[in-house]
Amino acid sequence: MKKTTIRLLVKTTRYYLVLSAGIFLITGLVFYLLLHRIFYSQLDQGLLNEKMLIEETINYSDSVPDFRTIFGHLADVTILYEPNKRSDRIHDTVMYNDEEGKFLSYRHLFAENTSLRNKGYTINIYKPLLETEKLIAWILAVVALLFITLLLLLVLVNYTISRRVWIPFYRTLTLLENYNVNREKPLPVNESDIFEFDRLNQALTRMSDKIQRDFLNLKEFNENAAHELQTPLAVIKSKLELLIQDERLDEGQLKTISAIFEATTRITKLNQGLLLISRIDNEQFTNQEPVLLAPLIRKILDHFGELTDLKKIKVSTTLDETVTVRMNSALAEILVSNLISNAIRHNLLAGTLEIVLDAARLSITNTGKPLTCHPKQLFQRFRKSDPSADSVGLGLAIVHKIAVLSKITIDYQTDGNLHTLLLKFF
Amino acid sequence: MKILLIEDEKELADAISQYLRQEKYLCEMACTFNDAIEKINLYQYDCILVDITLPDGNGLKVISELKQMNSEAGIIIISAKNALDDKINGLETGADDYLTKPFHLPELNARIKSVIRRRNFGGNRETLFQEIRIRPDEMEVYVHDQPLVLTRKEFELLLFFVSNKERVLTKESIAEHLWGDSMDLADSFDFIYTHIKNLRKKIIEKGGEDYIRTVYGMGYKFSVQ
Repeated sequence: MKKTTIRLLVKTTRYYLVLSAGIFLITGLVFYLLLHRIFYSQLDQGLLNEKMLIEETINYSDSVPDFRTIFGHLADVTILYEPNKRSDRIHDTVMYNDEEGKFLSYRHLFAENTSLRNKGYTINIYKPLLETEKLIAWILAVVALLFITLLLLLVLVNYTISRRVWIPFYRTLTLLENYNVNREKPLPVNESDIFEFDRLNQALTRMSDKIQRDFLNLKEFNENAAHELQTPLAVIKSKLELLIQDERLDEGQLKTISAIFEATTRITKLNQGLLLISRIDNEQFTNQEPVLLAPLIRKILDHFGELTDLKKIKVSTTLDETVTVRMNSALAEILVSNLISNAIRHNLLAGTLEIVLDAARLSITNTGKPLTCHPKQLFQRFRKSDPSADSVGLGLAIVHKIAVLSKITIDYQTDGNLHTLLLKFF
Repeated sequence: MKILLIEDEKELADAISQYLRQEKYLCEMACTFNDAIEKINLYQYDCILVDITLPDGNGLKVISELKQMNSEAGIIIISAKNALDDKINGLETGADDYLTKPFHLPELNARIKSVIRRRNFGGNRETLFQEIRIRPDEMEVYVHDQPLVLTRKEFELLLFFVSNKERVLTKESIAEHLWGDSMDLADSFDFIYTHIKNLRKKIIEKGGEDYIRTVYGMGYKFSVQ
């Protein structure tokens, strides 16, 4: 299952957006409440002023004025006969409006005052809330628009800044992705004026230098070790060859020496295989040229002719004479030779060997015992389908190495007794 | 025949020179580059065996020095490096042959004989063993002066035997001589047996004697006794 990942910038922008929206929502609410309070206190103050105006009028005119409206607001005054009452109450109410023909919200002032000319009055003033509510709505709308614009701008600014700030990081990332320890080039130094990225780059450079050094050391060690083994092996071999010339040796001694000889030969072959692998690793086969495969295949089949005859293997070839592959010619020979010798070695008595070469691929199919291990494992070093086999188990590992180096894909297919090695050229 | 062996690994040098002395060669040794330069300036050799990696210099320089002196000695490089470049460089500098360590002493012996034979323009280029006469360059063999028709492998086998007569040859060294190191050993032993059987039969048919002796568990020996 593939892990879902999200880009850093998208992630930060998303967080930014959600957080800012939340903050704006809360401040918006607070703003609304504040605005509401201010408007209402102003409204109430207006109502009280109007009430005072009515009271003054009553005081001067000494009559009960017929107030239907005051400043266009609905108002009424009634005489109150109960003495000693004085109160002001302001609250919201809903009334039917004749002009509009529907119920509307009003701010309602209800005042009782008995101190006016020894008579009491109740005063009702109704101020429609529609205008105020509209005003608040408008103000809120404008503010919301401002907020949203600001939010978008901020997100944009944040996105742009982040993008700029993270550029060195992405550069480092690309360099790391393209880094290959095999290429013997150190990780390019990437400068950044941002402290943290600079630290990161320095740490990466130190790390890659170390990896590079260790890798080179290891490669060198492998090759040197294999090299250094050659001379002692040569000494053992030559001393043994001198020893067996001794006429006084009896059968048992000869048998012992023979066993030593065989073991030495095995070590020699093993060492040569390892040396070849480390030399491929150390890129000592870099010069490539177009190699004609058909003549090479025929030459190697001819070389192994006695083997195929002895095992009575039926060899059939379909070769496109014009096919060339761009690779090192020495490696091409080793590759084809290893493949064909494998196909013969693991073949059955009176089996078949079929080689087909066309512009896109080379397939080598042979009969043989069914595999006892996973085909992919055969390309690993020292991996053998038959552990008792006399080979050292490096043949296909070498084939694999050469294929990788020459950009050839290699595939092992098996169907019961038929084994196919498929090489695809690009 | 005088041979100069330039090799810094003493034990290997000892083994080689011991083997070559049994072939009645006069074998001198040089362990260092300077030693080698001194010897080639003082004496004449028929064949020079050079190790490329010497403690104080490169064996290839010895070869170019020899070429400057217009030396007629045959030159065989013996090197632990199986690098193709070294091989090409060596042969271009003027070496006659290249042998990678570890090698079989009979193989080295056969190569030396071949190089000396090719150098020996004026002289006898035939190899004689009792009633068998071999003309290597023409790939011709005579038994009691009657031509013997051999396959290429049989011919190579016979020449290898005659070059290392009276020696025990291991199956490994014969296999490597005939097929190089790309052949699986277990398989090649069967071929050796087949080839030897055929070779024996052909020589006996022409009235020759059977000189091929089996050394138990080890290999074969081409011997008069």
